[in-house]
Amino acid sequence: MVEQLLILGVVASAVYALLSLGFTLSFGIARIVNMAHGSFFMLGAYFYFYYGARGFGKLDVFPSLILAAITVAIIGAVFYRLAIHSVMGDDVALIVVTIGGALVFQQAVTIIFGTGHVTINPLMEGAIHISNVAVTYSKILAITISLSLFACISIFISKTKMGRAMKALSQDREAAMLMGINTEALATLTVAIAGAMGAVAGTLIPASTSQMADPFMWTPPLTIAFAVVILGGLGSIKGTLVGALILGFSETAVGLYFPEGGFLKTAVALGVMVTVLLIRPRGLFGKRIELEE
Amino acid sequence: MVTIYLRRAYRSFALHILDIPSRLMALLLIVLFLAIPGILPANPLMSYLLSVLITASVMAIFASSWDLLVGRCGQISLGHSIFYGVGAYTTALLFRSYGLPSWVGILIGVLIAAAISLPIGFPALRVKGPYLALVTLALPLIATSIVFALKDITGGENGLPIPVEGRFFQLTNIHNLRIAEYYLTFLLLLVSAIIIHKIANSRTGIVFVSILDDEMASKACGINVTRYKLMAFAISATFAGLAGGVNVHLLLSASHGDFSLTLSFFAVIMAVLGGMGTIYGAIVGSYIIYFLDMYFLRMVVDVPDVWHVLIFIVPVVLLVIKWPRGIARFVTDELEDLSEERPLEERGKRIWKKYRRKKKSANEG
Repeated sequence: MVEQLLILGVVASAVYALLSLGFTLSFGIARIVNMAHGSFFMLGAYFYFYYGARGFGKLDVFPSLILAAITVAIIGAVFYRLAIHSVMGDDVALIVVTIGGALVFQQAVTIIFGTGHVTINPLMEGAIHISNVAVTYSKILAITISLSLFACISIFISKTKMGRAMKALSQDREAAMLMGINTEALATLTVAIAGAMGAVAGTLIPASTSQMADPFMWTPPLTIAFAVVILGGLGSIKGTLVGALILGFSETAVGLYFPEGGFLKTAVALGVMVTVLLIRPRGLFGKRIELEE
Repeated sequence: MVTIYLRRAYRSFALHILDIPSRLMALLLIVLFLAIPGILPANPLMSYLLSVLITASVMAIFASSWDLLVGRCGQISLGHSIFYGVGAYTTALLFRSYGLPSWVGILIGVLIAAAISLPIGFPALRVKGPYLALVTLALPLIATSIVFALKDITGGENGLPIPVEGRFFQLTNIHNLRIAEYYLTFLLLLVSAIIIHKIANSRTGIVFVSILDDEMASKACGINVTRYKLMAFAISATFAGLAGGVNVHLLLSASHGDFSLTLSFFAVIMAVLGGMGTIYGAIVGSYIIYFLDMYFLRMVVDVPDVWHVLIFIVPVVLLVIKWPRGIARFVTDELEDLSEERPLEERGKRIWKKYRRKKKSANEG
């Protein structure tokens, strides 16, 4: 039981971390509460399906994964320039525009691919047994990809010049502008990276679990990303990892120890989030951000 | 004696309604909507149109309650459907289990919705802005999973159907039934809208706006911000719960869809389309969206259902970007520009005569 909890918990946490990373970046750096982040997830799954299983000469797993990430990154950047950009600074308008965008993506996918499920190819066939728990190679691959991407992004933010510029942008937009940083280009890039992260998560999660995708699959990951990010503190990369671990393990524990209460998984996860917020309104690693500015 | 009172009443009516173009238009719209069932012929299509308008009225109550909380008090709530759902489930449960008269059930549902707004609002108010939006978003999801977990009480996926006796009116003719329900919901909407509008423009409402504008400054003025925020939550929850409860007796069931994110998002979209912070904007927005979605695009031009959301979401997004003040507020602003500035003591008196004189002079000129 304990091994099972450990293994499944790590699997869940790793992909949650990747899923929430994009959301953290777009909130922490570009200050966008992106309700359309779940649709990046959904679009990622669909583009992976499209490149791999349908058109484009049936590409292999990895080329289609990379192409899907790039496509969604471009969609994210265009969406930022066309829609989000003009309503920055107004919380409600931002939320309405991003919800609207999410609904538009959902309907567009419905019109193109239909309302039903499509089948997502697994990353790899086969499974390995770790102390009586069958772990598919897909899952192991998903964990590896998520964690290495997570590491890459944190190194990118803390070590490279552009990453530091992003940090500057997150601390003070005006001061960053005065230092000669092209804030608009940087914000666009951030949303594009967030889109790519969302798309990779959107491929890895269905490919390693249910192997299905449908146009309405964007709300559960959206709420999970929210919960993880709020738990860890909005805009903190370290917090995202910790939040993902807490959420991943608590959900897995509920699923394992109360199999009949599977519906309560979400409730417990979100309940944990609300409890943490009550004790620490900024989240575990959140900095005090003046939101009124 | 009577004539004096009549004259006084007319004068007050003219001063407060006839002389203000936007109110005059609201009055004309209300009269039009009251007359609609009389104008429409009695056929199945028109019964369907009436049921669309009934839904629009209920959703208008819901959207305007959201508008009071967010547009006036600035407490962004993305999970408003939790109050709607609580009102709906309480009403349905009470009717099924105890057979209480529908209005008693709705009243208790409303009270419970208002009551849970306090334990929800109190912690939620520790966080602000985007954080609050995300926390409130989580609440209906928690409620949904509870609904699925407590299958024995809530019916799980099947929801809670209530018997046909649950209708407000026991009429056999479907068209007459729709007419009766239409008047009921429309009057309910009118009463709720007037109450919400009065609250929004009372002293309490002004305090709400001050919290929206600058919370620190309001605190510095000695306002108990938490108390007023909770008050906004409770008032808003009351009307959201009312909409939920009434809807149960119209649709004859409560379902987990009453807690859905889509419902909360639609409240946001309707209120923003009409113009946030105006209350009447939410009503206009919900009539526009429901008429477009459920009647025009389905019955008149017959667009496949998958296109509906695209057809009305894209204009809403463009509207928010290009024209953030909303449709209803734009119309009233234009109307106010049409009216001439006159000192208060001249207003209300002989407006029609004056209009005629103006017309005459315009003709002469």
